[in-house]
Amino acid sequence: MKRILTILSMVLISALIVSGCNSGSDDEYTIGLGQFGPHGSLDNCREGFLAGLAEEGIVEGENLTVDYQDANFDGGTTNLIAQSFVSKNVDLICAIATPMAQAAFNAAEGKDIPVIFTAVTDPVMAQINEGNITGTSDMLPVDAQLKLIRAIMPEATKIGILYTTSEVNSESAIAVYEELATGYGFEIVKSGISVAADIPLAIDGLLSKVDCISNLTDNTVVGSLPIILEAANAKNIPVFGSEIEQVKIGCAAAEGLEYYELGKQTGKMAARVLKGEATASEIPYEIIEESFLYVNSDVMEEIGLTLPSEMSGRAIDVA
Amino acid sequence: MDMLISILEQGLIFAIMAMGVYITYKILDFPDLSVDGTYPLGAAVTVALISAGTNPLLAMLAAVGAGAVAGLATGLIHVKLKVRDLLSGIITMTALYSVNLHIAGRANVPIFTSTTIFNNNFANSMFSGALAPYKVLIIICIVAIASKLLLDWYLKTKSGFLLRAVGDNPVVVTSLANDKGSVKIIGLVIANALVALSGSVIAQQQRFFEIQMGTGTIVIGLASVIIGINLFRRFYRVKPTSSVIVGSILYKACVALAITYGLSATDMKLVTAVLFLVILVLGRERRARRKSIA
Repeated sequence: MKRILTILSMVLISALIVSGCNSGSDDEYTIGLGQFGPHGSLDNCREGFLAGLAEEGIVEGENLTVDYQDANFDGGTTNLIAQSFVSKNVDLICAIATPMAQAAFNAAEGKDIPVIFTAVTDPVMAQINEGNITGTSDMLPVDAQLKLIRAIMPEATKIGILYTTSEVNSESAIAVYEELATGYGFEIVKSGISVAADIPLAIDGLLSKVDCISNLTDNTVVGSLPIILEAANAKNIPVFGSEIEQVKIGCAAAEGLEYYELGKQTGKMAARVLKGEATASEIPYEIIEESFLYVNSDVMEEIGLTLPSEMSGRAIDVA
Repeated sequence: MDMLISILEQGLIFAIMAMGVYITYKILDFPDLSVDGTYPLGAAVTVALISAGTNPLLAMLAAVGAGAVAGLATGLIHVKLKVRDLLSGIITMTALYSVNLHIAGRANVPIFTSTTIFNNNFANSMFSGALAPYKVLIIICIVAIASKLLLDWYLKTKSGFLLRAVGDNPVVVTSLANDKGSVKIIGLVIANALVALSGSVIAQQQRFFEIQMGTGTIVIGLASVIIGINLFRRFYRVKPTSSVIVGSILYKACVALAITYGLSATDMKLVTAVLFLVILVLGRERRARRKSIA
C-alpha cells in the first residue's frame, strides 16, 4: 500500500503548494460561477451574467477572475462545486438553476460569501428567498403562452405537456398551466417521464390524445427536443416552445423569456454586491415577467398555421 | 481549514454508508446495488418527516427503519424468489425511485428553515462561540462513531459471527443448523439501514433532498471500502469498520482536492472511475503476490 500512500501524499502536497498562491487585492474580484448543467438557456444566462458585470466595469480577464464549474445535472457534484468555491473563499458565488443555488446557499451560509442565483423558477419553494442570497427568477409566462396558442389554434381543446418527474421546476410550471388553462378553454394532458430514454414512447402516447404540445423549460425534455419534433411533425401536430432556442430548432412559436437579459439583470445585481453598494440580503429577488414572442415562420407554414395579424407586430421570426 | 472540515464532514457521513457496503460487498460477497436507492430513501423519509414537524432524531430512526425494509425487500427477492444478487439490487433500486418521489412529494424538497440534528436549540447552545464552526462536524462524528461501535458489537455476537461466515464458508453456517438465506437477509437489512442513516444525515447537512442524489452512491461506497481495507491490510489490529471510515475520508479528500485545484467538475466521474480502477488493480496485485508466496 506504499504506492497508494505515495500517490495520496503527492496529491496533498501539490494541493498545499497551489493553495498558498491565492491572494487578491481590493479592486480585483474572484467569483465562483456554478451552473447545474450544459443547456442552451442556462448558457445564455451565464453569458448574460458576465455581460451584466462587464457593463458595471467588472470585466473578466481584467479585474475579474471567474472560476466556472458545470455540474452536468448531478446533485452530488453541485455540493462539491459549492464547497470548493467556499474553500477558495471567493468574493461571490453565482449559481445557475435551482439545485446549484441550494447547494451554494448551504455551503456559503455563515461564511460571509454572498450567493446570487439566476434561472430559479420558484425561490420561495426552494427556500432560498432569505439570507445572504438574492437573484432572479425565471417564472414561465404561462398566461401569454396560452393566449398565443388560443390565437393560433382557435379550435384546439387539449394541450399536451411532457415533463420529467424529477424536475421540480416543471412540476410548479404544470400547476400554473392547469390553473390557467380552463380560462382559455383548454385542458392539460400531462405525461411524466423519469429518464430521456422514456421520451419516444411517452411522446407517441401523448400525441394520440392532444391537439398540440407545449414545452416547459424541463432540462431532460428540452435536451431531447429533436425526437419530439420529429414525432409531432409526422402527425402534423404543432409544438410550442418556451424560449428562443427551442423555436430556432423547430418549435412553431413560443412566448419566452430572454435568458441573456435575465443573466444580464443578475450580473448587475452581482456588481452592486461586489462593489459593496448593497448586501445580498438587502436586495429582494427579482422576477422577469416581460415575455417575447418568437416564431419560426418555416415551421408555421409547413404545419399550415398562421399568426393572427394583431400578434405579428411583436413577433420575432427566428427561422 | 474550511476545506478540511468539509472533507471530514463528507467523509464521515459517507463512511456510515460505506460500512453498509462493507457488509454486503466484503462480508456477504453480494454486489448490492439497492444502495443507490436506499441512500436517497433515507433522505426522502427524513425531509418528509422533518418538514411535517417531526423531531429530527425520530426522523432519523424512521429513515433507518425504511432502509431496513428496503434491504429486506432485496433479500427476499434474492433468497425467496431466487433472483440473482445483482438483479435483486437493481430491482429494488429501480422501484425506490418512484417510492422516494412519493415519500418526498416533490423532486426537490428544501429544509433550510427546519429543525435538524444540526440546527436545534440544544446543539446551538452547546456549540456556540469558538466551537460553532465545528458544530456540524462534531455531531456527524458522534453519529458515525456510534454506528461504528454498534456494528463492531454486532459482528461479535453469534448472529454477527454467522454473518461473517456466510460469505466465506456457507457450509459452516448450514452445519450450524442455520439457514444461510436468512443470514444473508439479515446482512442486507443492516447494510441498507446504515445506508439510509447516511442519507438521512446528508439530507440534514445539505438541507435539501434531490431525487437524483443517490446516483453513484455505490461507487463511492465501494471505493471507500476498497481504499480502507487495502490500506490497513497489514494492520491486523485495526478493525475493518475503522479502515472503512479512513477509506471514506481519504476518498473524499482526493475528490475535493482534485476539484478544488484545477480539475473541472465535468471530468469528475472519469477521475472517480480511474481512481477506482487504480485502487482495485493495486489491491489485486497484492493479493496475487500473496497467493504465489503461499
